[in-house]
Amino acid sequence: YPLPCTGMDPATTSKSNHCLDAAKACNLNDNCKRLRSGYISTCSRELSATEPCSRRKCHKALRQFFDRVPGEFTFRLLFCSCRDPACAERRRQTIVPSCSYEDKEKPNCLDLRGACRADHLCRSRLADFHTNCQATFQSMTNCPGDNFQACLGSYAGLIGFDITPNYVDASTTSITISPWCSCKGSGNMEEECEKFLRDFTENPCLRNAIQAFGNGTDVNLAPKI
Amino acid sequence: GRRKRARARHKPCELRELEVSVSELGLGYESDETVLFRYCSGTCEAAVRSYDLSLKSMRSRRKIRKEKIRARPCCRPLAYDDDVSFLDTYNRYYTVNELSAKECGCV
Repeated sequence: YPLPCTGMDPATTSKSNHCLDAAKACNLNDNCKRLRSGYISTCSRELSATEPCSRRKCHKALRQFFDRVPGEFTFRLLFCSCRDPACAERRRQTIVPSCSYEDKEKPNCLDLRGACRADHLCRSRLADFHTNCQATFQSMTNCPGDNFQACLGSYAGLIGFDITPNYVDASTTSITISPWCSCKGSGNMEEECEKFLRDFTENPCLRNAIQAFGNGTDVNLAPKI
Repeated sequence: GRRKRARARHKPCELRELEVSVSELGLGYESDETVLFRYCSGTCEAAVRSYDLSLKSMRSRRKIRKEKIRARPCCRPLAYDDDVSFLDTYNRYYTVNELSAKECGCV
C-alpha cells in the first residue's frame, strides 16, 4: 500500500524520517519558522532552579503557533509517522512536553476537566474534541462522518490549554495519547473519570486519524472504502 | 583585466540562500534539522563613496600609515533574520539568534 517518500530507503532511515521532514518544511517557511521558534524559545527558557519555565507563557505561544500556522505544517509535525524510536521521540517532543505537559504530580482527570471547563475557550475546544473525535462503530474509520481532519484539528486545538494532550511515550508500534492526569482518587466518580480518560487513551477514531495522516492515506478516504 | 573579470563573475551585493543542516553550521550543535541559511554575497564596486576615495588618497599620501583601514565598501548584512529553533540529536531544544541575514548592503 502507498507509503510516502523517504522511509523506504534503508540508507537514509537513520538520518531521515517524516518528523525531521516536517521540521524542515516548517523551517523553510518564514511564518512557521518564526512561530515555532517563538514557542520553543519560550517553552525551553529556564527561569530559575525551582521554576524550569513559564508554563503560562509557553501555553500561550503554543496556542499562537497552532492558531496561526496552517495545518499543512502543524499536522505534519504533530502526526508524522515513525519507524524508529528517535523519530517517535522527536514527535513526542514537538510541544516541548517538559514545560507544556509534564508536571511534578498527576492531577485527577476530572479536576483537570473542571479547570478546563472554567475557561470558556478551553471548554469549547474540549467540546469540539468530544464531538469530532467521538468514536463511532458505524463506520470503517470509527470517526463521525469519516472526517479525520476535523478530529485532528480538534486535537491540535487542545494544545496550550490545561487539558493539553500528548504522546505518552516514544513507541513506534502503538500510539497512546493522554492528557497529564490519572483517575487515582476519583472516589465514586471513578467510572466517569475512566470514561473521560479513555476518550484520549483508547479512542479508535483518534488513533485511526493519526495513523491515516502519517501513512498519507487520509486524502479522499471516503471513495476508497 | 582583473577588475573586468571580477565584474563579469560577480553579481552586485545581494541576499542568497542555502538549505543546510544545523550540524553543518559549525556552531557546535548536533542536529539533522534543516534550516535556511541566508547570507550576503556580491560586489560593492558601484557603492564606492567619496569617503573611500578620500581615504585611499590619505593612505597614498602617507597621512594614514599604521592604522588598519578599509577603503572599500563591503557586502554585509544590514539586518538579521528572526531566531531559529531546533531539536538536537540528544532531544534538547536550542534557539539561535542572528544566524541568518535578512537584508544586505554595501557598508
